[in-house]
Amino acid sequence: MNLLKQLIKDKFSLIALIILVLIYTALLFADFIAPYTKDFSDRELSYVPPSPIFTITSDGKLSRPYTYNYKREFDPNLMETTYKLDRSHKYYIKFLSKGMPYKAFGIIPMKRHLITVENEGRLYLLGGDINGRDVFSRLLFGGRISMTIGFLALFVLFPIGLLYGGISGYFGGKVDILMMRFAEAVMSIPSFYLLIILAAILPPNMTSIQRFILIVIILALIGWAGFARVVRGMVLSIKTQEFVESAKAIGLSDIKIILKHILPQTTSYVIVAMTLSVPGYILSESGLSFLGLGIQQPDASWGNMLKEAQEYTNILYRPWLLTPGFLIFVAVLSFNLIGDTIRDILDPKSKVR
Amino acid sequence: MKRVIYISLILLVFLLFLKACIRKDVPEQETANNQNLNQKTEFEFPQKAKTVTINGTDYLQSQAPTGKFGGEVILSIFGEGPKTFNPFTSKDATSSQMAGMMFDGLFTTDAKTGEVIPKLAKKYELKGNDYYIYLRKGIQWSDGNPITADDVIFTWKNIIFAGLGNTSLRDSCIIDGKLPLITKIDDYTVKFSLPRPFAPFLRQLSAEVAPKHIFEPAVKQGAKYFDGFYSTTTPPEKFVTSGAFKLKEYKPAQRVVFVRNPNYYEINTKNEKLPYLNKVVYLIVGDANNEILKFEAKEIDVISLKGSNVARYKQKEPNADYKIYNIGPDTGTMFIVLNLNNRKNSEGKYYVQPEKQFWFKDKNFRYAIDYAIDRDNMVQNIANGLAEPLFTAESLNSIFLNKNIKGHKRDIDISREYLKQSGFSTNKNGKLIDKYGNNVEFDLYTNAGNIERESLGVMIKQDLEDLGMKINFKPIEFNTLVNKMVNTLDWDMILMGLTGSPLEPHNGKNVWNSYGSLHLFNQRLEKLSYDDRLDFEKQLDEIYDKASLETDFKARKALYDKYQQIIYDEKPIIYLYSPTRIIAVRKKLKNIYPSTLNGIMYNIEEIYLDK
Repeated sequence: MNLLKQLIKDKFSLIALIILVLIYTALLFADFIAPYTKDFSDRELSYVPPSPIFTITSDGKLSRPYTYNYKREFDPNLMETTYKLDRSHKYYIKFLSKGMPYKAFGIIPMKRHLITVENEGRLYLLGGDINGRDVFSRLLFGGRISMTIGFLALFVLFPIGLLYGGISGYFGGKVDILMMRFAEAVMSIPSFYLLIILAAILPPNMTSIQRFILIVIILALIGWAGFARVVRGMVLSIKTQEFVESAKAIGLSDIKIILKHILPQTTSYVIVAMTLSVPGYILSESGLSFLGLGIQQPDASWGNMLKEAQEYTNILYRPWLLTPGFLIFVAVLSFNLIGDTIRDILDPKSKVR
Repeated sequence: MKRVIYISLILLVFLLFLKACIRKDVPEQETANNQNLNQKTEFEFPQKAKTVTINGTDYLQSQAPTGKFGGEVILSIFGEGPKTFNPFTSKDATSSQMAGMMFDGLFTTDAKTGEVIPKLAKKYELKGNDYYIYLRKGIQWSDGNPITADDVIFTWKNIIFAGLGNTSLRDSCIIDGKLPLITKIDDYTVKFSLPRPFAPFLRQLSAEVAPKHIFEPAVKQGAKYFDGFYSTTTPPEKFVTSGAFKLKEYKPAQRVVFVRNPNYYEINTKNEKLPYLNKVVYLIVGDANNEILKFEAKEIDVISLKGSNVARYKQKEPNADYKIYNIGPDTGTMFIVLNLNNRKNSEGKYYVQPEKQFWFKDKNFRYAIDYAIDRDNMVQNIANGLAEPLFTAESLNSIFLNKNIKGHKRDIDISREYLKQSGFSTNKNGKLIDKYGNNVEFDLYTNAGNIERESLGVMIKQDLEDLGMKINFKPIEFNTLVNKMVNTLDWDMILMGLTGSPLEPHNGKNVWNSYGSLHLFNQRLEKLSYDDRLDFEKQLDEIYDKASLETDFKARKALYDKYQQIIYDEKPIIYLYSPTRIIAVRKKLKNIYPSTLNGIMYNIEEIYLDK
């Protein structure tokens, strides 16, 4: 609790915290906030620009917010597809009204959306992608995967690393040498090539989400070694302290001493390492999707959405395709800011700022 | 003081937010589109090159307008660059292209009509089943040695038919299990005797001819040595060539430089020796984005444009130093294929689940899929409008294209009608069930990492789910996909593309022959002891055999028309679209005659620079 208070005190980490809370709530209520489902598409609206929202009509009167639909035109001479606003019909924007059906939290069937538009109208707040799907809605659904995958890896990586490092450091001697050489062997596995091999041998009848979770777990299974080495170093110095000696004198079993007396001393490092490694997994998700190993179409993730923006004419003409990149940037920055602040709080001596 | 700053900041953000909410609806001015650019680039081809004898040498005389000598052209190639410069061992397109710059074949393809026209050979005669090839007298290799019948015979007997290097050319010359016999008539005449008429043979003679005096020692050292001969590590001065250019320099991952061959046998109408260019440089570029940036920096002179780049370049064209050519449909085809396999694997399990077999072998089911596919929007969205819907097995630029197959638009009602005829129905959840009550659900595979195919897959999934089917769309790694397709055969539907030949449908035999190595829709892993060919497969086998016997173009065309009709009627493979090729070429390059069949740089020896 004290930690949280100090976090809020720091301006940067406060802003970061607010941003992350906002992102995660938005993701939790994605079905409700998004105007469309993740797979809804309108063929006529491939790469459509964001829908403009007007509040003042062309004759200068204030009005309820409304939008127009886009109409696609292909010019065979210029070989160009253009979108023009079809001003013949106004579509009013509706708040908290009924739209496409969905299941809130996977169970409660609902129809209400935070923001929708009248029937036949299309409200693409952040434009469309190549298949004519709403980028804004897909951002919300894709974020669910991108922003949680890091924590999944942590749950695999940290228990292994802590226990392994603790045992190795506590017993020392031959056990230590053996365990550390094994850890080094694990560290030397080239993860990139492992991924490429995995992509080839994993059974193709898994869904892309299942496969991706498996890949992340495997990444975590070879990623714990570096962490275990640091823990072992800390344990080496902790075990010489008096309270460990006294615990031994009372006759506590080795494993209890490690779990109850030594490992809690490493908490400050663990918390910092955890917050700082989450963004790493968010980035690796986008990297893997880029390589075609991550989440595949038609499922959405920030990484595979960003892949579409790869072509440089898309960056020139369809900047809205870059929004997942922007969100990755913001999320990673926030995690790093919070991680840094926690480190400062827990370990005032190493304060850098 | 601090508080004032905070409050004003918050106010500012709030006001900005408010400003974003208030937006006036102002109709934009209609801009008149005055640019009038022709869609199809029209131009006239020069007359065919002639053979002219000067001082006893039979030169090939180009009839294209004469130009200035000198200068260099910079082109680009994708990927890792050539793996070898030996035309007989090359297995990839880039290596073959590089070897093709240096070595000419006996014949080549006319850019306009697709006919076989003489190149290194002067002419040919067909007497019975024998091809008499007459060579040019007095022409030389780049080192000054004469090109004679010995070179031709050595190339075909000791390299190609001996099975050295890449054997695919030899395999396509095997007729009824026999190879043609080669006889030397005199120093400038060679006879190829075929066991029976075989129409595709003449085109195979476009293969490169090797200099005997250089290649013979290498061939004698055996197949292993030959594989490494004329490779990327051979010093450039060792290359002895017959083509318009020879290698000057190869820097891996950077560039390949060719210089003109002063002994080339082609001349212009002023009887000056071609080629015009002193140098041709191929830059090795990583990917399409890299290539575009290089073109914009004026580092390369020719580029093939894709997607939204076309519109961008077209807009800039009037004031730019390049010209855009629309050279029509590409040889590539995009399609979905259903697995009609009803056999069991070695473990006694069906490759395809029995209930799925029942759907796939049902013609009505395949028709329903075909009519549900929204090709128009695929062309519009995925190919940026730069493609044409495709319904035939031959690509749209093929000289054997069956123009009577008109195709159709998407019509979901016709699809439903077909499904109904075969006893399919939809349940109350809108799901399609077959007449035995099974839910119609199957997998659609394609290779991952390809945005075009992944987006196409999403569209096909939606199209078919409109019918109530459930499609599990699975982009997988390319090699895994190929393994599924040709070895394990455990797939339902695959979205794929193939490149065909616009000139020779016989090259598609490996796909259409019932025992072919790429008989996608009903792959047989080995010759079976019994005949389980479907009726239309039998027909296709028969047509392919007949058409290869026929040497008359019209008669062949009639047969190949029939094969396309059968595939359109049976729909084992459902074709989607064929992209259009758009190429930008710098205006300083002259004698450019883009061809749907040959591309754009095929006449590199005639191209010159106009300053």
